[in-house]
Amino acid sequence: MKSTFANVVSSLPAEYADLRFEENRKIRIAYEGKELTQVATTLTSGGHVRAYANGGKAIASFSDPGRAGPIAEATCSSATLVGNSREKKLEIATAPVITEDFLITPTRDPRKVSLKEKLDLATYYNEIILKNPNVITTQTMYDEFTSRRIFVNSDGSIIEYELVNVGVFGMIVTKKGDVVQRVRFAFGGNTDYTPLLNREEDLQKQIAKACELLDAEPAKAGVYPVVLDPSESGVFIHEAFGHLSEADGLQNNPSFRAKLQLGKTLGKPILNVTDDATLPGLSGSYRIDDEGVRGMRTPLITDGVLSGRMHSRETAAEFDEPLSGNMRAVDVQFTPIVRMSNILIETGDSTFDDMVASIDKGYYLVGAKGGQTSGDQFTFGAQWGYRIENGKLGNMVRDINMSGELFSTLQATSMIGNDVKFGERGGCGKGGGGPIQMNRKSGKGSPHIKIDAVTIGGI
Amino acid sequence: MHPTIENAKRTVDQAELYWNRSHSIAVRYENYRLQQVTENDVSETSLRVIKDGKIGSAYAVFPDQEGFLDNAITGAEYGDPAQLSFAGSADYPDLPSYDEDTAQLQSAELIEVCETIKSKLQKQLPDVALGIGADRAKTELTIQTSNGADAKAKSTEAGYYFGAPFQGAGTGVYKFQSSIAPPLVSDRLLDEFVEWYRWGNHTSTPSTGRLPVILVPQAAFLMMMPLLAGVSGDAVWKKTSPLTSRVGEQILSEKLTIHDNPLLAGNTDARTFDDEGVPCGKHVIVEDGVLKDFLFDQRMGAAMDRQSTGNGFKRTMFGSGNETAINPWFCCPTIEPGDTSWRDLVKGIKEGLLITGGMGFHSGNYPQGQFAVQAVGFHIVNGSVVGRLDKTMISGNIYKDCQKIGAISSETGPCGGFLPLGEAPYILIDSLQVAGK
Repeated sequence: MKSTFANVVSSLPAEYADLRFEENRKIRIAYEGKELTQVATTLTSGGHVRAYANGGKAIASFSDPGRAGPIAEATCSSATLVGNSREKKLEIATAPVITEDFLITPTRDPRKVSLKEKLDLATYYNEIILKNPNVITTQTMYDEFTSRRIFVNSDGSIIEYELVNVGVFGMIVTKKGDVVQRVRFAFGGNTDYTPLLNREEDLQKQIAKACELLDAEPAKAGVYPVVLDPSESGVFIHEAFGHLSEADGLQNNPSFRAKLQLGKTLGKPILNVTDDATLPGLSGSYRIDDEGVRGMRTPLITDGVLSGRMHSRETAAEFDEPLSGNMRAVDVQFTPIVRMSNILIETGDSTFDDMVASIDKGYYLVGAKGGQTSGDQFTFGAQWGYRIENGKLGNMVRDINMSGELFSTLQATSMIGNDVKFGERGGCGKGGGGPIQMNRKSGKGSPHIKIDAVTIGGI
Repeated sequence: MHPTIENAKRTVDQAELYWNRSHSIAVRYENYRLQQVTENDVSETSLRVIKDGKIGSAYAVFPDQEGFLDNAITGAEYGDPAQLSFAGSADYPDLPSYDEDTAQLQSAELIEVCETIKSKLQKQLPDVALGIGADRAKTELTIQTSNGADAKAKSTEAGYYFGAPFQGAGTGVYKFQSSIAPPLVSDRLLDEFVEWYRWGNHTSTPSTGRLPVILVPQAAFLMMMPLLAGVSGDAVWKKTSPLTSRVGEQILSEKLTIHDNPLLAGNTDARTFDDEGVPCGKHVIVEDGVLKDFLFDQRMGAAMDRQSTGNGFKRTMFGSGNETAINPWFCCPTIEPGDTSWRDLVKGIKEGLLITGGMGFHSGNYPQGQFAVQAVGFHIVNGSVVGRLDKTMISGNIYKDCQKIGAISSETGPCGGFLPLGEAPYILIDSLQVAGK
């Protein structure tokens, strides 16, 4: 099959073409409360072809591998059509030709664990949650995704590689009177089955928080200084800054491109941010991207100054900047887009206690609850928080969403902790001009940080 | 019946096949330049079986794929007892959903649509990083069960969108239109885009406090998604819904009447059957502010001793499609219009907000009716728009704040955000919490 696909792309009248064919297997076991709602296996396969011809670009996805040839030819014709209308032709940066396989051998391979054992594990954790009298329902899910991919391109690269991602995650829902609260949990999130096991103590901590929240008070709307825990600050740097470091979002946005020239000072010298696909054992780690470029470490902010960004071969050529190996597609129905691997705020030298002590009236926000970004505007939630009054932690608060503007918020990041921690479960939604791709393999890490002013939405 | 159903009948009690085949073409412009043509030719299928009273499911590319039936049977071995039965034979309503001219559209014709939009907007807004797109899709959906359901729909969809961020900002203005027939570019949408874009040339931050807020149709999701979470049969059954025992009670303003109308003619999300092969029909959810009923799929209907309302869809807030589990979900939510022009609503406000969207909605406690989002839209002072919102959040609870609706516009538009393509008017909420200056 590799040689067939290689012949398809090499015979196209294109400046560049590539084809990715993949066979994917997903296992999903889902509980909602006591009910086991799903024990499902998904087997999908198909191809995706990209062609750059006459300075234009076209892409196609297909289910039937027997149609790869005619679809690739039609895609090449469409690229030529696009090129006809472009004065400025699209180009592709030169990348090393790779003829190597990248297979995965986890410490304990989830592909070799029986379905029965996986079901028993999900059942065990779900029952632990249901034992708490405040819990009214759960969402407990075992989620496993494995993919075996062939990538060929007209440069001569022929690569076979695997992706594996496994985790148990879910939601604890508690109720008291009219107050209903939700707290998330997640174990695993990388290639190995081992981190899913023996997590009872961590689960009990999350259950306890879901119960405590029932007596918490809602946050008060306003502008406050905040301390973010590593989970929240990981989401902050991912949502607010990381997406603006993905070059495909800047490629045709002149005003942000001007704002984000390399060398621009974005924060205080204490701020260092990196994207790193090579860190072992994290949800966003990989060795090769879906454009046949090796995953790597890319400094994004160094001593407060913008020092790099994440690229495709197309955007690297357009920006005349180095390749970064960040092009990824969640599955065959999608084209690769530029995505973070593991983004992190590097360690600082402040302590958590110093940060809290420096605030007269503010909040300590804990636990990522998702976020959204558009350009330099960001919003994200916290699972719970605490008032900070006169330098000390106060009462617990609930129902917290915060928002802000990237550039002023980076400048307002005034303290960085010495306690870097990565979240286990990855996750990121991005469209990149097409349908939203929900990417499991996206890691976020950070120490505690202090931001001098953000807007909190509340009562 | 498909051979997969015939094969399944030999070894399982019941079987249900969902098979979707689609061919689509999309063209995309960025910053007024043609960027990419996309063509997809894909098949996806799912199978649910009930064997020995237990349910299992599997997903694949083609129904005759090796291991497809076996995987569903394995799922059933471990699965929970099934309370539901798959749909039986039914008569489905008539609804035009296919247009041969749309099915024949090629990329060159979609490029022409984009060029029309480009030529009209580039003259007025030459320095804007305008994104434009046009697409068409033809789809064949088949749902068959061993109980005799045989639902088939052939449909087309064509549409276009255009939008741009404000200069140097993260937010912007975005307009779209879709139908089953080839797209005709609307001058009204183009003019409105230019007007709104120019409103956003300046920023303005409102005072912190309670202010009147108008939700435009695209922002109706701020009210409708919490409502959907509340009227979902799933949440009602689990008692996580704040509406569990409130049928017949006033839950929203008497000015609000809300339906799910899957038979909305011309709407590209309209359906005559849901993703379980159950016939769809217009369903009253809220009438004059009074909660009338919930949404049920087969599973929740069986759990609560009710019939499915034809609302079993493979949809969630973050996605839809073959591998999404079936949930009770809106098909085409509609809010009844009022009799006031939306521009008159704006004129009547001393200080308030015109909300076109909200960021971070999904991070809030929306199943309880709450929302707290970064406000996207415009600041109104003395009846006029004075600029785009900056550093502003709005928050509230629909079951408290939507009790007092000042007025509802006579104009409607397509819902946006996380909702399927229904129709909503502009809605004036008398008072919402605003965090600004």
